[in-house]
Amino acid sequence: MKMSELKPGDGGVITSVTAQGEIAQRLLDMGLVKGTHFKVLRKAPLGDPLEIQLRGFLLALRLKEAEHIGVEKRPGK
Amino acid sequence: MKKQKEIIVALAGNPNSGKTSLFNAIAGTHLKVGNWPGVTVEKYEGYVDFKGYKIRLVDLPGTYSINAYSPEEIITRDFIAEKKADIVVNVVDGTNLERNLYLTTQLLELDPKMVVALNMYDEVQKLKISVDFKLLQKLLGCHVVPVSAVKRTGIEALLDHVIRTYENKITIPRDKIFYSEEIELAVTEIQGLIETDILLSGKFSSRWLAIKLLENDAFAYSRARQSPSWVRLEKRLPDLMNSLESKLQERLGQHISGDRHAFARGAYKETVTMVNEEKKTITDHIDSVVLNRVLGLPIFLFIMWLIFQITFTFGKFPMELLQSFFVFLGDKVSLLLPEGMLRSAVVNGMIAGVGGVVGFLPNILLLFLGLSFLESTGYMARAAFVVDRAFHKIGLHGKSFIPMVTGFGCSVPAFMACRTLKNRGDRLATMMVIPFMSCGAKLPVYVLLIGAFFPASMSGNILFGVYLFGILVAVASAKLFKATIFKGSSEPFVMELPVYRLPTLRSILMQVWIKAWMYLKKAGTVILAVSLIVWVVCNFPAAPVLDREYAAKIEAVGKDPKVPPGTKEGTVAAFKNELAAKRLEYSFAGRTGKALEPFIKPLGFDWRLGVALTAGFAAKEVVVATMGTIYALDEAGRSESLTQRLRSDPAYTPAVALALIVFVLLYVPCLSATSVFHKEGGELKITVFYVLYTMTVAWALSFMVYQAGNAFL
Repeated sequence: MKMSELKPGDGGVITSVTAQGEIAQRLLDMGLVKGTHFKVLRKAPLGDPLEIQLRGFLLALRLKEAEHIGVEKRPGK
Repeated sequence: MKKQKEIIVALAGNPNSGKTSLFNAIAGTHLKVGNWPGVTVEKYEGYVDFKGYKIRLVDLPGTYSINAYSPEEIITRDFIAEKKADIVVNVVDGTNLERNLYLTTQLLELDPKMVVALNMYDEVQKLKISVDFKLLQKLLGCHVVPVSAVKRTGIEALLDHVIRTYENKITIPRDKIFYSEEIELAVTEIQGLIETDILLSGKFSSRWLAIKLLENDAFAYSRARQSPSWVRLEKRLPDLMNSLESKLQERLGQHISGDRHAFARGAYKETVTMVNEEKKTITDHIDSVVLNRVLGLPIFLFIMWLIFQITFTFGKFPMELLQSFFVFLGDKVSLLLPEGMLRSAVVNGMIAGVGGVVGFLPNILLLFLGLSFLESTGYMARAAFVVDRAFHKIGLHGKSFIPMVTGFGCSVPAFMACRTLKNRGDRLATMMVIPFMSCGAKLPVYVLLIGAFFPASMSGNILFGVYLFGILVAVASAKLFKATIFKGSSEPFVMELPVYRLPTLRSILMQVWIKAWMYLKKAGTVILAVSLIVWVVCNFPAAPVLDREYAAKIEAVGKDPKVPPGTKEGTVAAFKNELAAKRLEYSFAGRTGKALEPFIKPLGFDWRLGVALTAGFAAKEVVVATMGTIYALDEAGRSESLTQRLRSDPAYTPAVALALIVFVLLYVPCLSATSVFHKEGGELKITVFYVLYTMTVAWALSFMVYQAGNAFL
């Protein structure tokens, strides 16, 4: 499933990043690589972007970017 | 005396890792710091003497990696990759080590002489995070020094390590392998090919270049293509990369990046033990309120409203005090100086002009205090998060929000802050709308007019409304631009949200003090000079014919037996005022204003405002300063503040005041801001368009406001 399909409170592991070009590079640089554990904290008041927690920090990204990230849902801590 | 040896030390690190704070702590400077990623967009330099060396410190903009994604990341990459620094100090946020170490791995690949400064060590200790420095040093192969830029601890130890590293007095064995075996083999092979070109491998680390070529990095390719070794590289690279990718079942770039993250995570896990995650929880608690689905937007609006309310309400009393001080000063100086040109120049030119501007210092300080607080706590990045959806809809980027709020302070840094936007269309569209984000210099105009024409209970709300109106115009313009001239896909929104930090009183006061000092300096230089120029153009050419005519009239009144003695003084004063007004009309300023009048008449402005608005091209505060001078000349010899004079002038109504506020809000920013716009935008036709657009919008909207105001007020 995609990261964009998760709900606030859901945890998961990244299985693939299918974005291309610079978006892909940006996601990689921010630590969104295969095998990364993360948790969806919340959505912005207007429903987009998402706020996730990974590698000990908080990251905001749009649903559009989250659609390029394949994840496996894991129960949140 | 022996000449000191200079060492170039570059500070590199993730955005928001505190590089600028550390720079300030070392060099004793007061550069702007804030709690959001991307405060520094330019590289800054400073000097410090230490143990016989002259250390030239370079503060580089923060970057998450050396792939260089936005313009300010490219500055950093070029500086380090091209070995312009003798020593690299990698600043890492000790409370966020895992993410920060990713850049460290990339920096190590470049093989510079490097020291890691583990910053925010005070917080690390407070959070009971323990770091195994010895092991971390061994894993990274370079020294790691705990520092706290805010508490100013560890600075000397850091500089000491910098010197010793420079003198090659310390070396630590490095387990330099980050990558899986297949990658390392490929790297070694490519490295061999690169090293056949001594020039290329002398300029860049060959290992780094090899890795970057495997990662398909554009910069590495552009450099390799210019090298004689390219003939061989070109043959070998595609095969090597294809075979690796089919073996690894993953794109090579992703795999290499994954390996680096794995190393960073490994180093973090092995060296850091955390007792609790208290800091994260506090941030989470605050976020669950301020980013709440229902409350998020209202809270955002409330915070902005509060800032403007405070600016007006708390600023009112000290403002009035300062204004009466300048009136008092003017009166006293009038008594000291003989009547004539000099007195008029000092009292009506300098004191009225500069005093009019300095009076608003309290309001300016309160506004900056509010903005500094938002910037240093970490709320600014949240605001970008909250508004991104709406901004995206209108064609801007959530990140556009930060330069736009910076624009409330001053357009100059705001234009520069747009560099964090990578997409050119996004960047230009944001720059074009920044003039509508009312800058601090325009505040005096609003405070003056609102104070003069509207009841005190409404003042704060009207002020907030003015700013809101500016935002609406900005939004509408952005939508227009993105739909027409700056088309194209928008940059993705991938942004770190920093943890909340309580700013130190010292850093907030320092920032506010710098703003205050700059404001006063501007008042004492530019505004003083412009005030004098305005005084000159208001007094020349002299009108001897008028002078004689009125001197005769006044004499006639004095001699006229028909005029009752008690009313003589009043009649004389009336003649004097009439003369002052006629002289002003006769002057250069008066003629210019009169020439402009046909254009501004539909907005309800008279020629005096034409002069003030024209002078406002130099600096927006000058609008008030000029009005101060003109009114001081216009009605000779009355001790009143500008507010009182405006209120009693029949030419001004609330409708005119509103139209004037709107015009000042929207018309082209001052000359210095416009020149920065030109530099950042890079094209003359864009700058010309920006001037025409802001002028047109200002005219059209103040026309509408004036007409509507006449109908309803």
